[in-house]
Amino acid sequence: MPPRSNDDPRRHVQILPERVGNVSGNDFPGHYPGEDHSWNLKRFKENLIVSLQRLTPSTLEFDLVGVDASIANALRRVLIAEVPTVAIEDVYVWNNTSIMQDEVLCHRLGLVPLKIDPREMIFRENPNAGALDTDTVVFQLRVKCDRQPGTQGETDPKRKYWDSDVYTGMLEWEPAGAQKTKWKRKEPKPVNPDILLCKLRPGQLIDLTCFARKGTGADHAKFSPVATASYRLLPHIIIRSPIPLEHQQKFVQSFPPGVIGIEKDKRGQPQCVVKNSRRDTVSREVLRHAEFEDKVQLTRIRDHFIFNIESVGQYRPEDLVPEAIKILLNKISAVEAGLDKLFDPEV
Amino acid sequence: MSESQQDTRWQSQNPNPMAPRPSTFKAPDVLNYLCADCGAENGIKSGENIRCKECGHRVLYKPRTYRIVQFEAR
Ligand SMILES: [Zn+2]
Repeated sequence: MPPRSNDDPRRHVQILPERVGNVSGNDFPGHYPGEDHSWNLKRFKENLIVSLQRLTPSTLEFDLVGVDASIANALRRVLIAEVPTVAIEDVYVWNNTSIMQDEVLCHRLGLVPLKIDPREMIFRENPNAGALDTDTVVFQLRVKCDRQPGTQGETDPKRKYWDSDVYTGMLEWEPAGAQKTKWKRKEPKPVNPDILLCKLRPGQLIDLTCFARKGTGADHAKFSPVATASYRLLPHIIIRSPIPLEHQQKFVQSFPPGVIGIEKDKRGQPQCVVKNSRRDTVSREVLRHAEFEDKVQLTRIRDHFIFNIESVGQYRPEDLVPEAIKILLNKISAVEAGLDKLFDPEV
Repeated sequence: MSESQQDTRWQSQNPNPMAPRPSTFKAPDVLNYLCADCGAENGIKSGENIRCKECGHRVLYKPRTYRIVQFEAR
């Protein structure tokens, strides 16, 4: 089979002035007479493309081509809601004389991303049992604000007082059990030490103990390892007929920079060509002008997903997708086992 | 900025030590009330006059007691 072309109209989702067309795929058995569209692993493997586009310490952009939207969406949802992380769950407030109420302060603590590898911790099995060194990480936050001596006439609270700002960097890990040797040189700590938790004035103090536990975004958004994970379909622009010279600048300017270029054709005439449709925002600006009617067709490739993932910091961005796929495969195994039971003649 | 400098920037700067957490939940004999007028600390035993020892103001505030309260971080 020849490699599939982006110009194949069957792969196009049409972007029309007032609506989108051809949204659902028709490549299922029995739709096209005489064509075999039964699911075939060999063909799926041939058509599947996963290619990394951009990787930074916190973000990841990759293309996933040749899968149904249900698979791409499952991956996105697993990333957001089912890849586990560790976050503060229980807070024991010894004292808090700051202006912030205990429950507000504790809620804020829960949202702090913690640099703890969730793969090295287990889910807490029994919420009524005591904490174990395998399922709980303890942090202490003990801060007291005092006046700095010899600062008369000073107006900046940061120079006038000590610890007038309480930061996440003040959370101190308290190793328990085997944790000290297990996490030597990768001590649990907040991902960002510079998150402002609360402000204090002289005489005020905060003294509390935090218990961090493993959980998933399905339970609470604070456990979500991404901020956020999304995909879009690859834009594909088709120039149906040449754009007249006098309209070429306007045509180029109807798209974001870099999408359309002007190049000389074989006869030396300048022509509009699609340079990089990935950069198109699909604003449909070009469809507003009568001079471009029927000259251009805006589409998206139905099975070409451009994933954008930003890690909160618990995982490296390149580790997130394999973790999500592992979880997805476990779900499939669970369904498979259930089906085996359902159709087992012995039972 | 060096790595170590950046690390300590967000840590506690106060050189004064914090009082340790109470090991028992027994109420102390002397409670430190704060004067509503001048802010002075007033150690007052039960049965004593409710009056600021610094300025004589008759309104005193009772600071929050050091006692553990559990919250869910949600
Ligand atoms: Zn007073």
